[in-house]
Amino acid sequence: MSKSHHAEKATGIGDPQCFKGEAGPPKFKVGDKVRIKDLPDIFYTRCQMYTRGTPATVAEIVYESPAAEDEAWDNTEQVEWFYSLVFKQRDLWPEYPDAYTNDTVETELSERWLEPA
Amino acid sequence: MTELEKNDSDIQQDLPDLDTSPIPLLEKIRKEGRVWDDLCEQYGVDNPDPPWKVSLDSTCEVLAEDNCALSVLERRWEEDELSEDIYDDVPFPERQLLALAHSMIRRGLMDEDELASRMEAVNRRLNMV
Amino acid sequence: MAEKHKPAPMVDEVSEFEILELAVRELAIEKGLFSADDHRRWSEYMETVGPLPAARLVAKAWLDPEFKKLAVSDGVKASLEVGIDWINDMPSNFGTPSDYCNLRVLEDTPKLKHVVVCTLCSCYPRPILGQSPEWYRTPNYRRRIVRWPRQVLAEFGLQLPEDVEVRVEDSNQKSRFIVLPMRPEGTDGWTEEQLTEIVTRDCLIGVAMPHPDRKADDMRPVHPAVNPVKHP
Repeated sequence: MSKSHHAEKATGIGDPQCFKGEAGPPKFKVGDKVRIKDLPDIFYTRCQMYTRGTPATVAEIVYESPAAEDEAWDNTEQVEWFYSLVFKQRDLWPEYPDAYTNDTVETELSERWLEPA
Repeated sequence: MTELEKNDSDIQQDLPDLDTSPIPLLEKIRKEGRVWDDLCEQYGVDNPDPPWKVSLDSTCEVLAEDNCALSVLERRWEEDELSEDIYDDVPFPERQLLALAHSMIRRGLMDEDELASRMEAVNRRLNMV
Repeated sequence: MAEKHKPAPMVDEVSEFEILELAVRELAIEKGLFSADDHRRWSEYMETVGPLPAARLVAKAWLDPEFKKLAVSDGVKASLEVGIDWINDMPSNFGTPSDYCNLRVLEDTPKLKHVVVCTLCSCYPRPILGQSPEWYRTPNYRRRIVRWPRQVLAEFGLQLPEDVEVRVEDSNQKSRFIVLPMRPEGTDGWTEEQLTEIVTRDCLIGVAMPHPDRKADDMRPVHPAVNPVKHP
């Protein structure tokens, strides 16, 4: 991301704080069940392969920001809500030991990656 | 790919093939350079990191800023690949440094010859008593 | 009589690696990839960071329930109270490009144990925790902790009951995380200083739990996994 563009907006305010208020209403709320979309592979993504197609629960609505996939190419016009999502390990890995039935993974994804489960 | 390999690659997405073929200058450094662990043992020093570590980390950081010559994600993924391939016998942080130089040369950010000359010049400067 | 101090041992030679680092940096600056000033500002900043502020944040949270609530709800604000300003201290004045400004403090409970990783590239909360340890950056840790957390934690000497939820936090975006572990038994009446001392870096990452007798992390030799994927 080019420094000059970003610096004006974020100096003294912080990133992602500088994008506050730009995303419009969040599509999902805490407790919602979602599934991770398997959007077409592009080189730069921060949506981990292991999450694709897996169900998750929205644990927290964390901040607004351009999606990492856009920000990498300096496209910061579209700002999305980011969510903290909790996945059950047994949904992620079929061979995950049954004994550890409560284990989870939590990670953040932007709204474009989510659809209602 | 076997089932096991396929599952492991789920952790990380498919990347364009990185050219991990060795670069002669860096191979020479890898084979002949003295790593910090060895220097510490010889001189009885116990600093966990070499004196150039902070500077290396700063270089990695600022390369991703400004014009973003080399983003963090790309640099780290290449470092991962190289660390498991041609630099797997090099300790950290020497491995990080070699991987950085490797990525920069392969990207055309600098070429091997000018790096070699610059190293000679730096060597003369630092070893002038 | 004053003891004559021997000078501290020093490495008295310049390695090829030292030369390489400097040569790369000089060429990069000459080619305009970055400026000498930016590099210097970064180096100066990196020298200042370390794990103590995070340890102190945990100790404060253990002693003050109101501060704990703040820490869990607003990590950036709570950081100010241990002297860390995620926004304004940074060379850029808007946060660091790799660390951003969204610290989330993960509170462990008797039924929930957090452990932090960045599977993509080893992101880490440097402003409050310092530079990451080598083992945290390795593919060995990053690939296995998200998939075989119990196994990897056992290698760190940590075993948890089956019904505890082990939650792996994969910091893939702009948030950075530290773990607020459970306060251990045997620390009643301790001061903030005493508590700070036992909150080691490994506890803040989540691969260790604080113990009244431990003030330092174990050395972690980094070795390649013998069987990287196959597990019982």
